Order: sequence, then C-alpha cells, then structure tokens
Amino acid sequence: MKSPNVAIELEGIGLTFAPESETPTIALNDVHCRIEPGKVTALIGPSGCGKSTLLQIARGFLNPSRGQLRFVEVASGKVTGRPAMATVWQAFNLFPWLTVIENVAFGLEVAGVSKQEREARARKAIGAVDLAGFERHFPRQLSGGMRQRVGIARALVMEPEVLLLDEPFGALDAQTRLVLQEQLSSLVETSGTTAILVTHSIEEAILLADKIVVMSARPGRIVSEIAVGLPRPRTFATTQDPEYAQLFDRIYGLLRDEVMRAMIIESEKADT
Amino acid sequence: MSPAGPLAEPTTKAAAPARKRRVWVWYNDERVLGWGSVALVIAIWEAAARLSGVSPLYLPQPSQIVVALFKMFATGGLAIDLGWTLWRIFAGFALAVVIGAALGVWIATSFRVRAIADMFIAMLYPLPKVTLIPLLIIWLGTGGPFMLTISFLGAIFPIVINTVLGVRQCDPGLVLAARDLGATPQQIVRKVLVPSAIPSIFAGIRLGLGVSIILVVAAEMVVGKYGLGARLYLSGQILETEQVFAVLIVLAALGIIVTKVQDYIDIKLGRWRLA
Ligand SMILES: Nc1ncnc2c1ncn2[C@@H]1O[C@H](COP(=O)(O)OP(=O)(O)OP(=O)(O)O)[C@@H](O)[C@H]1O
Ligand SMILES: [Mg+2]
Repeated sequence: MKSPNVAIELEGIGLTFAPESETPTIALNDVHCRIEPGKVTALIGPSGCGKSTLLQIARGFLNPSRGQLRFVEVASGKVTGRPAMATVWQAFNLFPWLTVIENVAFGLEVAGVSKQEREARARKAIGAVDLAGFERHFPRQLSGGMRQRVGIARALVMEPEVLLLDEPFGALDAQTRLVLQEQLSSLVETSGTTAILVTHSIEEAILLADKIVVMSARPGRIVSEIAVGLPRPRTFATTQDPEYAQLFDRIYGLLRDEVMRAMIIESEKADT
Repeated sequence: MSPAGPLAEPTTKAAAPARKRRVWVWYNDERVLGWGSVALVIAIWEAAARLSGVSPLYLPQPSQIVVALFKMFATGGLAIDLGWTLWRIFAGFALAVVIGAALGVWIATSFRVRAIADMFIAMLYPLPKVTLIPLLIIWLGTGGPFMLTISFLGAIFPIVINTVLGVRQCDPGLVLAARDLGATPQQIVRKVLVPSAIPSIFAGIRLGLGVSIILVVAAEMVVGKYGLGARLYLSGQILETEQVFAVLIVLAALGIIVTKVQDYIDIKLGRWRLA
C-alpha cells in the first residue's frame, strides 16, 4: 500500500448537540489540531469531553457546527478529498450473525470484491491478528480480546489510509489490553497508516502514540500536545524507562485538573 | 453430634447423585410421564364411555373416533378437506410473509411511511379479524379470493409489527460499523437491518401462522363446503360426534406439526441469536 500523505487539519472545530427536548450540549469548542500522516496521534481527556465526537467529525459522520475540517496533501500543500478511513470500536460492533471471516470480509464484499479475492485477503488479515483457525467461528464463541482482534482485522483489511481507534481496548481486562497494545503497535507500524487513537489510558497513549493530544473537560478544547520520542518498538519494558515516567507525570498532571473539572460539570448537569 | 453410625448414611446418599451412571426409573422419564398420562386419560375415557353407557352422541369412545378417522380418510374424502384447508392457510400466509416482511422493513426505515402506517395499524390491529368475515363475504364472495384474504389478514399484522420492531431494535453500533466499512444505505438495509431482525421477523411469522389457521378454519365453518372447518361444522350439525372428534384430532395434529417445524427452524436460526 502507498504510504499515507494526507494530513488532517482541524481548524476552530466546534460542535453543539441541540436535541429538541433538552438543553444544548457544547461538546467541542475551538479545537485546533493537525494529524500528521503516517503517525499515531492519541486523544486523551476526561469522560464526555468530546473525543468520540471529534473522531466522528474526522470520519465525516458528524458535521461540525463551527470551524473547518481539511485534508491536505503534505507534499504539495493542496487540499484533497477524504482519505480512506476505517474504525475500530470500543464495543467491537461485530455482526453477530456472520462468522469471523465474513465479518472481516464485510467491507470488501460491499465494495464488490470477488469472493475469492476477499476470502484470501480476509484470511491474511485474520492471520495477522493471530486468529488463524477461527475463521468459521461466530463472534459469540470468542473472548473479548479475540473479538477486538477481529475488529482490528476488519478495519485493516480495508487498507485504510487513516485508522480510527475509539477506545479499542476500553472493554478489555488489563492483561489482554497489554498484549493487544503491543500487537496493535506493531500492526500499525508495519502497515504505516495514519492512526488516531482515543483512549483513557495514559500508558496506552505513551506506548502507541507519536503525539499525545490532551483535551479539556467539556466543552472539549485542546490543552496540550506532547510529542513522544521513545524508541520503537515499545513494549512493556518501555514503562521502566525514566522518560516514560516523566511523560506519564506530565500528562497525569494535565489530566487530573481536567478530570476534576469534568466531575464538577457532570454533577452540575445531574443537578439541573 | 451423633456418632459415626447414623452419620454415615446421609453421606453416602448425598454422594449417590454425583455418580455418572444414573439408574433409569420410569417415573423420572419425561417421555414416559408425558405420553403415559395421555394414554391413561384415553384409557379412562374409553372405559368410562363403555361402562357408563352414555350415548355416543355425547361422548363417543376413543376407539370409535379412531375408526371414524380412518373411514373419513379412506372413503370420506377427509384428505381432500385437509388439502383445501392447508392450501387456503398457506397461500394467504405465504403472501403475508413476503409482503409483511417487506412492508415492515419499509415502515421501519422510512419516517414518512411509519407515520402513515402507524395510524392504520393502530386502527386495524386491535380489531378481532373474525369480525371482518361478513364484510369480506359481501365484497369477495365465499370462494378462493375470500379465503386468501382472510388468511393473509390474519398473518400480516404480527409479521409487519414484529419486523418493524426487529429492525428498529438493531444496535446502532452495527449500522455505524457497516457505514464505516463503506456500505450504502441499501446495503445497510439488506446486510445489517434485515439479518439483525431475523429472530423478531420469525417470531412474527410464528404468531401470524397461528392466526391464519384460526381464521381459515373459522371462515370454513361459516361458509365452506370443503375444508376441515366445513367438515367440523357439518358433522356437528348431523350429530356425527365421532367425526367431530376426528376432525379435531386432525387439527391438533396440524398444530403439533406446525409447532415442531417452527421449533426446528428456530434451532437452525441459531446464528442469528445474539451473543
Ligand atoms: N448524539 C448526541 N446528542 C446529544 N448529546 C451528545 C450526543 N453524542 C454525544 N453527546 C454529548 O456530547 C458530549 C461529548 O460526547 P463524546 O461521546 O464525544 O465524549 P467522549 O469524550 O467520547 O466520552 P467517553 O470518554 O465517555 O467516551 C457528552 O457530554 C455527550 O453526552
Ligand atoms: Mg467516547
């Protein structure tokens, strides 16, 4: 696959949910950010600060109320169309009536790829997430970690230029998480795609990202952008690195205040 | 605490059920209990009918009913009646399955169609469908079109309503995932909404077939010359009580077969049942 060359620029993005029955919620306000091609950008911030909303805006499933979303070809500096994207979901969102291989081949099928080719490509993607032999299983027959590996294979088989990961391991236990983080890290590295990773885990952000974007409590703004220079491949051993500890402290310091504010906002919301 | 002697017994007793090989005892066998009690009731019935000397006009003996049943099949044309009834039920029902499922998907996916259909469903669904028989006879007569319509009307409401419910209960995450993978709106309907609604659609089909059977037999009792309902009614009129029972047996058997087939399909639909 050709290496990604389109940056995603968010300029003054704001979004207000205005359901008819309720008071409007300002989910995002004045977000400025640039997602570099071929890099992993982590979005971290308190619950409800608009991380998923931002991802949906980048995906084109939500329209921002204010501001501009641009796709820019890095070499020429020209604005282009939306690059191919695929999402990995926190709730997996696998089709329960389809087998593993049918789930993974779904995107190729709706794109009209021949049965023979899509099976071959799906099989390869399933092998890449270490699920060879489970092609004919149904999602309910798999553990949570295995299900999310199907989710990752289903996205990667599309060879997306941009991979969107919305708390992909949020529903998994700590051990499974660790293993999958390492696996995802190497998969993203070898595929070379641009990735946006939404996470609540500082550890996950540091292990996977080139840049960490810290967001404020609702309405979500960007508080800080932190580059992660730790060498790759990063594994569990990386967490012993003094630079890791430094980064962790810095992000935790930024987040703690925002999480406190978010808790106050949520409790006020509950009062009204 | 009592000494070892009395204690030993409960311990061994408690250990017994844990052993793999269980001794077969007739009163622990589900089938023996089920079929056995049916056989017992029939035996008591037979004995009571014989001994009490009650007129077979009121209560024929089971043996007489079986004889009547065989006679009706052999020379009385009961097979033809059964064929008529089945044909009437399934023609309208099959039409209702196809149209009902399609209509249900359309209603579920289109706000405008839903707004319109909701009114009609709210008005027509609670109406007992047997009450439509007189009007339908005025409009359609008592022939094939009437039977087709009555069976169709019986089945279509549960099918439409359950299809709408099933489609609308689809996890929005699945729709989003399909969209993310590039599915068009039509593909989302065909490959996500409909499959996710299959268990619910099938539940509607089950209910619908039940109503179709009731309505067709009831309609045959009112107007039919052929069919199980007509046979039932005519036998009653001329006080052929064994024949009444014989037709009831055929109807019960039909119900059992339909239920078993549906159970079997339900098992086959296992992959659609969510995790
Ligand atoms: N469709 C919607 N209608 C109204 N409000 C919404 C909608 N979607 C999200 N919101 C609100 O917008 C805010 C941001 O939501 P979002 O899901 O983007 O947060 P998040 O950062 O992803 O949170 P979490 O970490 O819990 O996943 C929340 O307050 C949420 O209640
Ligand atoms: Mg979220």
